[in-house]
Amino acid sequence: MIKSDVQLDAKGLACPMPIVKTKKAMGNLTEGQVLEIQATDKGSVADLAAWSKTVGHQYIGTNEENGVFYHYIRKCNPEVSEAVEKSFEQTISNEGAIKEEGIILDVREAAEYAFGHIPGAKSIPMGELSERMNELDKAQTIYVICRTGTRSDLAAQQLAKAGFTNVYNVLPGMSGYEGELQKEVE
Amino acid sequence: MSNKVAIIAANGGLFDAYKVFNIATAAAASDKEVQIFFTFEGLNLIHKQGMHALEMPAGKEHFAEGFAKANVPAIPQLLEMAQDLGVQFIACQMTMDVMGLTKEDFVDGISVGGAVTFLEYAKDAAPTLTF
Repeated sequence: MIKSDVQLDAKGLACPMPIVKTKKAMGNLTEGQVLEIQATDKGSVADLAAWSKTVGHQYIGTNEENGVFYHYIRKCNPEVSEAVEKSFEQTISNEGAIKEEGIILDVREAAEYAFGHIPGAKSIPMGELSERMNELDKAQTIYVICRTGTRSDLAAQQLAKAGFTNVYNVLPGMSGYEGELQKEVE
Repeated sequence: MSNKVAIIAANGGLFDAYKVFNIATAAAASDKEVQIFFTFEGLNLIHKQGMHALEMPAGKEHFAEGFAKANVPAIPQLLEMAQDLGVQFIACQMTMDVMGLTKEDFVDGISVGGAVTFLEYAKDAAPTLTF
């Protein structure tokens, strides 16, 4: 079971209904939230990925279970998300973060993490960071990673403010990672 | 990249209706601006009574079962959804005159226009599709 913010039941519906329903459901999500679409239409596998690309949302992945496809899409605002300035000063490359001593903290949503993360990375989604900070050790070096470096920038600032000193924002982030991926889905 | 999709619906069978409305709703759901120009038999697809009785091509009637099994929405339902998503319907004035039809014969919310109306819209649309 992969965590999502909103679930949409589109089972039994034929094309183009899963897309139409997804479009409507997406309207009720806030930016950064993850929508799970349950569909039986085999065309939905290719269609939802293409739809996400066209509209500018992040297609995370699809998992099939007993003939039902579970699709995960994260709502993005294409006009702002990529353009946000990163302000946390301590940064490190993907390669550097993997090589150096310390832990990799993945602040993407649980679904993004489930579909592929750096082996050994710890998952704390950005929205849960403030209440789960006690799971982190201040003595350890923390390499914060997300997809493009924007959320990890904010998370690194949040950690620094809370007294963590050995914090680095990993750039470019998972979008530029080509190494081995660990998955929680088949 | 153009954000407009222009569609010409020139045929009036059930299969034609699905081709037109499926592509149109999918495009509209992908945040495209969509306009459909209904001409000749294509006017059937938005005719108040006609759209409920669209025929399958001769010899293909056995597909009715497949439509039911695949849970494909009915045409009036698809049409309403397309309008809901902002798809614009233009009925061809010239064809209406030839067939003796008026705007009242068609579903609400359509506009009536000529070839130039469509050409003006379609000049910077990509793709333009004909069914």
